[in-house]
Amino acid sequence: MLVEYPKPRWSDKFLLLDLLEGLKTTLRELFTPKVTIRYPEERMEPADRFRGMFKFSYDRCIACKLCAVACPIDIIYIDVHDEMIEEGGKKKKVKVLDRYDIDVKRCMFCALCEEACPTKPKSIWLTTKTYELASYDRNDLYFNMQELEYWDDRPKYTGLPEAEPQAQLDEPKKQITGGVQ
Amino acid sequence: MNKALMTYLIWPLVKFIIAFIIVQGIVAAMNWVERRLLGLFQARLGPNRVGPWGLLQIIADPIKFLLKEDIVPARAEKIAYFLGPVLPLLPAFIVFCLIPYGPPPTFTVTRVNVGLLLILALTSTAVYGIILGGWASNNKYSLIGGLRSAAQMVSYEVPFGLSIIGVLMMSSSLDLVTIVRYQEVNAWNFIPQIVACFIFLVSMNAENNRTPFDLPEAESELVAGYHTEYSAMKFAFFMLAEYSMMIVNSCLIVTLFFGGWTLGMFGVGLTTDVLNGMGILGGVIGAAIFFTKVMLFLLMYVWFRATFPRFRFDQLMDLGWKFMIPLALANIFVTGIFILAGQERLMYWIGLGVIGAALFYLRPKKKRAPTKVTQKVAHAG
Repeated sequence: MLVEYPKPRWSDKFLLLDLLEGLKTTLRELFTPKVTIRYPEERMEPADRFRGMFKFSYDRCIACKLCAVACPIDIIYIDVHDEMIEEGGKKKKVKVLDRYDIDVKRCMFCALCEEACPTKPKSIWLTTKTYELASYDRNDLYFNMQELEYWDDRPKYTGLPEAEPQAQLDEPKKQITGGVQ
Repeated sequence: MNKALMTYLIWPLVKFIIAFIIVQGIVAAMNWVERRLLGLFQARLGPNRVGPWGLLQIIADPIKFLLKEDIVPARAEKIAYFLGPVLPLLPAFIVFCLIPYGPPPTFTVTRVNVGLLLILALTSTAVYGIILGGWASNNKYSLIGGLRSAAQMVSYEVPFGLSIIGVLMMSSSLDLVTIVRYQEVNAWNFIPQIVACFIFLVSMNAENNRTPFDLPEAESELVAGYHTEYSAMKFAFFMLAEYSMMIVNSCLIVTLFFGGWTLGMFGVGLTTDVLNGMGILGGVIGAAIFFTKVMLFLLMYVWFRATFPRFRFDQLMDLGWKFMIPLALANIFVTGIFILAGQERLMYWIGLGVIGAALFYLRPKKKRAPTKVTQKVAHAG
């Protein structure tokens, strides 16, 4: 890439007026809106196709174990048993899911399980908007199937306790949407 | 109590302590102001977590410095190593006795009829601390850093001193009070002495190792230059000296070029006589005007730091010796001619013309042709 700058004027060489131009530019920047997101008080709402934490759907899952096979580090644990049910007078054998655990602390979010899933729509998918996955205990990051399905109901971090007055915000809180594309 | 004792010892001491506390308060606040303002210039927020608006940062930083381990390098020259941070601090503190903060006689600590000369002499000794600190650290890179810094400070001492001479010729006095009183009767010196004011501003930045000239401690390139081996409170002393010198130089430029504690020209406005007529309130107003002007110049330091890229060492020396010194000498020569011809008023018009031209250049206008970006085609073979 070749960048052509504006031709310097004859006066630029000794009058140092471009210094003033620079000062003017930075002064303008002083009053521009700031890009910092003060995290615990403000959060970013990710874009719609943001890839975050897993979500699992028990109803859609057909217990085919393809996701466990696809997983490159074998952290999906599935147990299945067969059950006979009657449907329209005929007896039919169906697989019933007993256990569907993911050891998320070892997960690298490669999404190969999502690709392998044959159901439509997918019964394990990653396009959720959660990115706050940190935990104080590593055992908290082992999810069973109920937890995987309803993890967004768990109590969320809502900032520091009320009793402690927090660092005051200079500007009113703002909701930032679509920051990550 | 003896009257002479009161006049010459007790009152100056009280005044000095008050001025010292105010100035050190500004130094402590500057640390926060600089970081916060620099953040705002760079589309960030700066430190805002400690206390409301991050204001407790002012206290948190000294506590951090006090609690850190004070390391003395092995085989360092102990006495010189200790003197390194103290020597630049002393002249910075002494100079606060000599600056008139408000209308005399109440708001000046001491009135010395060669005050300006004394200030120049004292501030020049700050270089010793830097060389001593660099040498005593027993680290060859600290020594090189110290020498670089000394070379820079000594070089810019020359245009710094020469730019003042124009002001001295105009007001024909070395007394800072007389210089301010000259300015309130005539125009503020930055109008007739616009060139000297520019040189003073530039060499003031170079003297303090501030950003376009901050080679001695180039934050993004070097470890720290001459104070690499210093930690904890000794390092804080270097910082304290640097910020105190910033305030000293801001006080000087306000006194010499921007009318000190007055807010008026040609004998109109808030002049010394008007302020003295109001009694002690007038004095407080004068001091408030003075410190407001000083704060504006301190903010200007931060503004410069946010704007200008760093000079290379040879560019720095070129600017000092090949541009600033000849310009300062030419300024003295031209000022002399105008004074000899008795045409000082003509200099006001020239100064106003220069300021007007600069403002005209900065007028809101359509952008120049945007930077053209063309694809460079790679030729085969």
